[in-house]
Amino acid sequence: MSPVRRDILIGLAFLIAAIALPLLVPGRYIVTQSTLLFVWAIVVVQWNLVLGVGGIFSLAQMALFAAGAYATAMLGFYWKWPMLLAIPAGGVVAIVVSLVVGLACLRLKGPYVALLTLAVAQVMYVLIVNDTDCFTTTGGCMPLFGGVRGIGQFGDIGLRALFPSKWYVAHYYVALALLAVAIAFSVVVIRGPLGLAFRALRDNPGYAMSRGISRFKYQLWIFGVSAFFTGIAGGFYAVHFRVVGPSVFSFQLLLFLIAMIVVGGLGSIWGPLLGAVLLMFADEAMKEFSDYRNIGLGLLLAVFVIAWPNGIVGWIDTLRQRRRARKAAAELSR
Amino acid sequence: MGNAAATPLLSCRSVSKHFGALTAVRDLSFDIAEGEVVGIGGPNGAGKTTLFEVISGLNPASAGSVLLGGQDITRLPAERICHAGVARTFQLNAGFDTMTARENVLVGAYFGRENRLAPSLRLGAAAERAADEAMALLGLSDRAEAITGSLPVIDRKLLMMASALATRPRLLLMDEPVGGLTDREVDRIIEAVRAIRGSGVTILLIEHVMRFLVQLSDRVLIMHHGEKIFEGPPRDLVNDSTVVDVYLGKGASERLRSFMDSRGAAHG
Ligand SMILES: Nc1ncnc2c1ncn2[C@@H]1O[C@H](COP(=O)(O)OP(=O)(O)OP(=O)(O)O)[C@@H](O)[C@H]1O
Ligand SMILES: [Mg+2]
Repeated sequence: MSPVRRDILIGLAFLIAAIALPLLVPGRYIVTQSTLLFVWAIVVVQWNLVLGVGGIFSLAQMALFAAGAYATAMLGFYWKWPMLLAIPAGGVVAIVVSLVVGLACLRLKGPYVALLTLAVAQVMYVLIVNDTDCFTTTGGCMPLFGGVRGIGQFGDIGLRALFPSKWYVAHYYVALALLAVAIAFSVVVIRGPLGLAFRALRDNPGYAMSRGISRFKYQLWIFGVSAFFTGIAGGFYAVHFRVVGPSVFSFQLLLFLIAMIVVGGLGSIWGPLLGAVLLMFADEAMKEFSDYRNIGLGLLLAVFVIAWPNGIVGWIDTLRQRRRARKAAAELSR
Repeated sequence: MGNAAATPLLSCRSVSKHFGALTAVRDLSFDIAEGEVVGIGGPNGAGKTTLFEVISGLNPASAGSVLLGGQDITRLPAERICHAGVARTFQLNAGFDTMTARENVLVGAYFGRENRLAPSLRLGAAAERAADEAMALLGLSDRAEAITGSLPVIDRKLLMMASALATRPRLLLMDEPVGGLTDREVDRIIEAVRAIRGSGVTILLIEHVMRFLVQLSDRVLIMHHGEKIFEGPPRDLVNDSTVVDVYLGKGASERLRSFMDSRGAAHG
């Protein structure tokens, strides 16, 4: 089976299962948790493009998510933009922020990229939290970025009004549609020229350059490309929870998302999605022991980094290669 | 003929390359006309590979200039020099080892031809066709789906040539294309070089195997300690006392002379 064929089959299987879920499970909890799962899955699928495909150790992805979320909320709150315009605008703002971060990172290597991107996110967080000057006083003192309390009351995409009792199911399907588009997009990037350029750069940088590949240019592209859906996911998150606060910068959340990518399989097409599903389950299972949740997460990450650095998908690939090699050997000895 | 025909395809003018105190290439000047095949020889460490690094932009010149069709390319980044029409192969077998052979060539075909502002969503039919043509020209079509890292040396060398050709170069630089090959394999590379030349590409090649160099080259350049000590037709090599002294040696130059004589007789 050709790889593209397989991608389409896996994608369709996931999509059908996801479409059926709200019809099959009773109650609201699983549906709303799955909506959140889809939001995080969008983020990690796009982050994987930078981290796994580009091999660039950027930790700025949640800052891009925040840029999209805050832009959406602020456009709605201050300028009364309709959310259906504000959310894509949030995606564009995320692209701009990502390109600036990408430019700053261009000449840096490995760990320095991680440090710089983490610093950018931290600065954004501190600026938002420490700003206590009132920007407007209509309806109480409100700093420009909302301060620790965040920004609310910026409008809706209208599904709550349309389906008063089932709006959360409608949001579920919106998130699923966004995720499907984001995944299709990442498959095209990984299987297309951009993916080829980065595989070439990883295999042999000098040779890649002498065959016409500019590392700087394609690094900027991957930064820009991975930001759009991340920003959109941020905008949707804002609308879904009706509020955006500085909690999106939390380190715990960043770790949770990285763990999804590592557990699923860095750089692979389906790894991050698989990791997102598994970690949401694991998180659910650890809910009872709230104090130990972070320890559990840290342990899981450590175990995978040491024992299965290529994640579950990488492990499956190795098994398949071994089976193929055994088959070939058996045929030779006959 | 107009002036355009008189402009050399490649022109190196007083090119020097220093590595700290070491001068690997010293004040080197030469021209290559469109359609020529020029061979470069010289002892180990003479600066031949360094000259290729300079021309291809992977390690730019310390002084002097490199002109391609009259345009200064001395300070262009490597990828732009590739787009300008200079492709090279490497002394050590370079390749994208985890990719298939065809993907290796596709890289050259897609990224090597022009400076793309934005990557497209798909590689496209033009790049796929160019890659398949280059592989066919070098007899690699049946290797298309093999993983590059597992190919035998001869195929890796041909693959480097195919991916270079796929960039549609005006000038192809080949660094020791037959180093470490058997006699039969050398003949296969000779065929390949002739086919490439036949497709209209100008060729500059480095080689220690003199029988290969003299068979293919219209003109030969010998380097020593970064300088040019000989430039002329292959026939004159064995009559040049400096070349015989510092490079060929007495025995080898006699063997080369009789090799050239026998071929000359055969070709009548
Ligand atoms: N990157 C580098 N840094 C420092 N010195 C270098 C570098 N590259 C080459 N040299 C030195 O420059 C000199 C010329 O090397 P070069 O590889 O160009 O020789 P060559 O003619 O290709 O030799 P060979 O026939 O063995 O391939 C050598 O003394 C080499 O050690
Ligand atoms: Mg050399």
